[in-house]
Amino acid sequence: MKHQLTQSVLQYAGLLGVLLLLIAVFSLSSENFFQMQTLVTIANSNPDLIFVSVGMTMVLIVGGIDLSVGSVLALGSAVLGVLMVHYEWGLLAALPVCLLATGLCGLFNGMVSVWFSIPSFIVTLGMLEMARGGSKVLTDSQSLYIGRSIEGFGEPLQSISLSPAFLVAVGSVIVGQFLLTKTVFGRYLVAIGTNAEAVRMSGIRTAPITVAAFVISGVLVGMAALAQTSRLSTADPNAAIGLELAAIAACVIGGTSLMGGRGSVIASFIGVLIIAVLQSGLAQLGVEDATKQLITGAVIILAVLLDALRSRFGKSDA
Amino acid sequence: MRSAWFSIALLVLFVGCSSKSSTAPTGGDQDASPARPKVALIMKSLANEFFSTMADGAKTHQSEHADQYDLVVNGIKDERDLSRQVALVDEMVAAGVSAIVIAPADSKALVPALRKAKEKGVVVVNIDNRLDRDVMESESVQIPFVGPDNRAGAQKVGDFLATRLQKGDKVAVLEGIRTSFNAQQRHAGFLAAMKQAGVEVVSSQSAQWEMSQANTIAASMLSEHPEIKAILAANDSMALGAIAAVKSAGRADDVLIVGFDNISAVQSAIRDGKVLATADQYGGKLAVFGIETALQLVNDQSAAADDVETPVDLVTAETL
Repeated sequence: MKHQLTQSVLQYAGLLGVLLLLIAVFSLSSENFFQMQTLVTIANSNPDLIFVSVGMTMVLIVGGIDLSVGSVLALGSAVLGVLMVHYEWGLLAALPVCLLATGLCGLFNGMVSVWFSIPSFIVTLGMLEMARGGSKVLTDSQSLYIGRSIEGFGEPLQSISLSPAFLVAVGSVIVGQFLLTKTVFGRYLVAIGTNAEAVRMSGIRTAPITVAAFVISGVLVGMAALAQTSRLSTADPNAAIGLELAAIAACVIGGTSLMGGRGSVIASFIGVLIIAVLQSGLAQLGVEDATKQLITGAVIILAVLLDALRSRFGKSDA
Repeated sequence: MRSAWFSIALLVLFVGCSSKSSTAPTGGDQDASPARPKVALIMKSLANEFFSTMADGAKTHQSEHADQYDLVVNGIKDERDLSRQVALVDEMVAAGVSAIVIAPADSKALVPALRKAKEKGVVVVNIDNRLDRDVMESESVQIPFVGPDNRAGAQKVGDFLATRLQKGDKVAVLEGIRTSFNAQQRHAGFLAAMKQAGVEVVSSQSAQWEMSQANTIAASMLSEHPEIKAILAANDSMALGAIAAVKSAGRADDVLIVGFDNISAVQSAIRDGKVLATADQYGGKLAVFGIETALQLVNDQSAAADDVETPVDLVTAETL
């Protein structure tokens, strides 16, 4: 048991090192960075990216990719907005419809790419356009202000200053990691990502498992839509443009392979935190925009490099 | 061994964190000199020349008045990245600024975040894109707007264009992002001027404020309605996109183009006769106007938080 704990800490040591290093650098250079309020603000601003990255990790592990997450988020947000503003539904009635819509997008992505053997890169690229168009049609290209009826999920709780959205997002990380490492489903995901042919040869139907990964991603994007819409109090048809790249960056920083077969939900979560801390720290310093982009790119590469070095040393240790 | 070091690092982190937050309650910083307030300027995309000019103007103003206030400038990646802009508001509040001067990426979505900032005692001033009145009312918050009347400005540009057109001529309009108040106001100003002159608007589409989209859309407008005599662009970036479209359609001589914002690229285009007119809302000073209002409110809590209207002037080859 103790050994196992040491192992898992070791597994994330490189990543956590990068995260702590960033926090240390910003704490030294900006007087107000190292404060509960700043750290809590960072946590509460990013549940959407956490949800999306959990789903993206699963899809990447099974050997796929989901480029449509940002647009599907906007679609989910549009569904929430239209139902709650034009039809005056409550959140509890609108949320299942939102999750159904984004889940169906995931189902479509998975089924088309599996059944017709089309690379998911292409199917989800198509979905990226379709869902964006759909969200604009639904909202008539207007952002819809929803107001307090949706704000509760994204608003910090009085007692712990963290928002329910962040807590649920962390819950999804834990459930995701459990699914991946402790269940048969998770092992199949890794196996299919490593060598789909071999899995099929051993008599396991791979299609439903691959499709399931896309559906999980879709539903989690729906949760991300709720988190973002709640934080903004507004359904925005232009929401989350480029979110797919942020999510893929978070997963890759966390060591998930774009070739499939390898990845960890917790590591992707730390990847999200690295990106979020970097963004927020640079903003507090008021760094020039161009410099921000240079630094962000460099840190992504640095984090991946450190992780690669760690796994090399880790292997020689064991 | 390694894990031991790691636990120590974590421990240090948490201890440091909690002790610091207990000595510095709710973002107040005692070490900073008491007199100098910190102002956060939150812009839209700083890749857009209009906003970077605005930000540069603010930085120059700050360096001339360095004894009066500190300035942090932040922008977002592109004009539609609402979520990041809302996060910036939260982060600036956490960083303990005294005032936020903001050019909102969306006139509705920013209101709740700004309300929360005000509740924490931060002075908020709205520049560039006016926040939605209905949403402010339902959030029961009042935020002063410091800026130009975009509708009147667009109408001036439209009126000037109308002097070069005949009654019954046809024109096309390139709109900004339709959700933004500025885009709606400029569109309304253009339409009003065209209606008054008896000119027909045969096509009006949004090019999202962007040059490349404006280029594509203007090109398709020209092939669909070859009879159009002028293109009215709601900002100068889109006017530049329209110039390229007109040129590649071989219509550079007979299609007039007007813009809005008076960016430097369009000034040279006006001198070359490629653009007829634009409107100057003194972009370089817009943020400064906002900062001045914010500083007044910070220094005098009792001052009334009223809207301030700033000038908009027509720019043509004669005025340059």
